[in-house]
Amino acid sequence: MKYGFFPGCTLESAAEELMISTKKVASALGIELIELEGWTCCGASHIQDVDDFLGVAVNARNIALGEKFDAPILTVCNTCTLMLRTAKDRLDHDENLKDKVNEGLQQANLEYRGTSEVTHLLWALIRDYGLENLRKKVKRPLTGLKVANFYGCHIVRPPKIMGFENHMNPQSMEMVAEVLGAESVEFDQRLACCGFHAVFPAEKEVMGMTRINCLSPKAAGADCLVTPCPLCQMQLDMYQPDAQKGCDENITMPILHLPQLIGLALGFEPEELAINRHIMDAIPTLKKTLTFA
Amino acid sequence: MRKITFTIKRFDGNKDWLQRYDLPYENGKTLLWALTKIREEQDPTLNFTSACRHAICGSCAIRVNGNSFLTCKTALDEILDTFKTDDLKCEPLGNFDVVRDLVIDWKPKLEKMKVVKPWIIPKESGSPTTGFKQSEQEFQKIASPTDCILCGICASECTQLAMNQEGYLEPFILNRAYRFAVDSRDGAPEEHIRPVLENDLWKCVHCMQCVSQCPKDINLSAEVAYLRQETMKMGETQNLGARHAYAFHDDVKNKGRLNEMTLPMKTEGVVKTAMKRVPFALRMISKGKINPLHMPKEVEGIAGVRKIYEYAKGVDQP
Ligand code: SF4
Ligand code: SF4
Ligand code: FES
Repeated sequence: MKYGFFPGCTLESAAEELMISTKKVASALGIELIELEGWTCCGASHIQDVDDFLGVAVNARNIALGEKFDAPILTVCNTCTLMLRTAKDRLDHDENLKDKVNEGLQQANLEYRGTSEVTHLLWALIRDYGLENLRKKVKRPLTGLKVANFYGCHIVRPPKIMGFENHMNPQSMEMVAEVLGAESVEFDQRLACCGFHAVFPAEKEVMGMTRINCLSPKAAGADCLVTPCPLCQMQLDMYQPDAQKGCDENITMPILHLPQLIGLALGFEPEELAINRHIMDAIPTLKKTLTFA
Repeated sequence: MRKITFTIKRFDGNKDWLQRYDLPYENGKTLLWALTKIREEQDPTLNFTSACRHAICGSCAIRVNGNSFLTCKTALDEILDTFKTDDLKCEPLGNFDVVRDLVIDWKPKLEKMKVVKPWIIPKESGSPTTGFKQSEQEFQKIASPTDCILCGICASECTQLAMNQEGYLEPFILNRAYRFAVDSRDGAPEEHIRPVLENDLWKCVHCMQCVSQCPKDINLSAEVAYLRQETMKMGETQNLGARHAYAFHDDVKNKGRLNEMTLPMKTEGVVKTAMKRVPFALRMISKGKINPLHMPKEVEGIAGVRKIYEYAKGVDQP
């Protein structure tokens, strides 16, 4: 299996541990990830607020880089997936827009053809790799580990663009957790928004959301929260100490990236997956149920 | 026999409680059928509203298992299939005051809506007596936003509104502002847009709940983007939201990638960042999350990216 890999900006900076764990997991599973050469930031759901056309054009360029490989494009970020898929959806349904965008891409010697799908690792594991194949690779079943699956908005909404599963009751994260041997807990905030995209202009509200998003899985007895989106991970982990301020209740909740959870089940040590890089230390909690070298 | 359990949140004006009703399953029915059957056969005191039964009047929306639906339009089978359960929890819409049971109070919302002047402020080129000419293209701009039936579903699910009831506007109010701002007959779009800006427009968290749940498929998040673009054209570029958006826009052009070290400074300004973000930055550096010395290099093909930016400037946007 081969994909054009679109890492997205956070994997190069604040979420480098996701780059590390994604690559480890992919190679252990025999999934080939070829990083797109010259990919740019997807605009992170902000660029269209300045210039709508540009948001489409920049991502048409990103997709065109992937089309060179004749392989689907794979991301590990909800918002990158949404931005790329939104551009693709609009280009594939609007010839006029596609022509205009291609006129621009031509100046960069590129063309958007619409031949590559855009997918997310979570979907690829289910649809392309197969959960039964994943099950066979499990070396350290996560038995006894209670995980709270926090989907994040952009992997399910809007359904017209994302469409992998029912946005009101998705099950993909639970399916993967089950294969890894972990137990998924039910909690209110499973499909909530992390607020990351408005953390500057809406700081007060977003910190309030972070509090709720940590307390809800905690109340449900989760050992850790796991998310397929680095932006959710950043919001819930990096800002957790800020969200704790002014809250009497202890909100502590370790936050893992999906590939880190998978990596643990594949037999990697927490450090190999860079789990030690998180602001909220997840290792003591993991040690309670899992055995490490 | 298969039974569907409805646990309905009741409210009598003073106290609320959960009440359980069992209904024998019948296929091919709507949610509204179920509520009506409960009222007719089990409990005449149950309050809910409906009128047209054709997804036109907007009066029948409620929340079921944490999502909002028009009860007249929604098939019971679809709900049971979505949630894989025969237990349905029904509540009034979120982010509304409740009158009784599933009945919500629209009056304060309609009062609030007036702030965006949800009416045409006519251009001088037309008048109430001579009328206006509108091209098909111009009409198309308002066709979809005019489909709003004021059902309240978008407001019920809005993440920002839930955290900020006083400050933020309901997505259907944003839709009204948009609808009049883009109407070719309207001569004062700013008068619809400025109040939106002043009511925390930049606080929308992009959760996509509104656009995902609207039964009329109105692209509310695209409308938010449009309203933001227009405020920037009006010169409102120095607030946190606009500066943040520009930081992304500019980084893509400069290097192709985001510079997370300079992002807070571009958004908040150097002084505020220095005062506020130092503990945060130290926390990040100590865990190796950010490397203060890392400066993104220009991506392969950056010249092409800049050409696309240059080209985009000359493109007519709708
Ligand atoms: S996208 Fe914005 S307006 Fe829509 S529901 Fe979310 S916060 Fe509200
Ligand atoms: S915008 Fe859509 S969801 Fe919101 S009130 Fe109008 S029809 Fe209902
Ligand atoms: S009864 Fe009129 S919209 Fe449902």
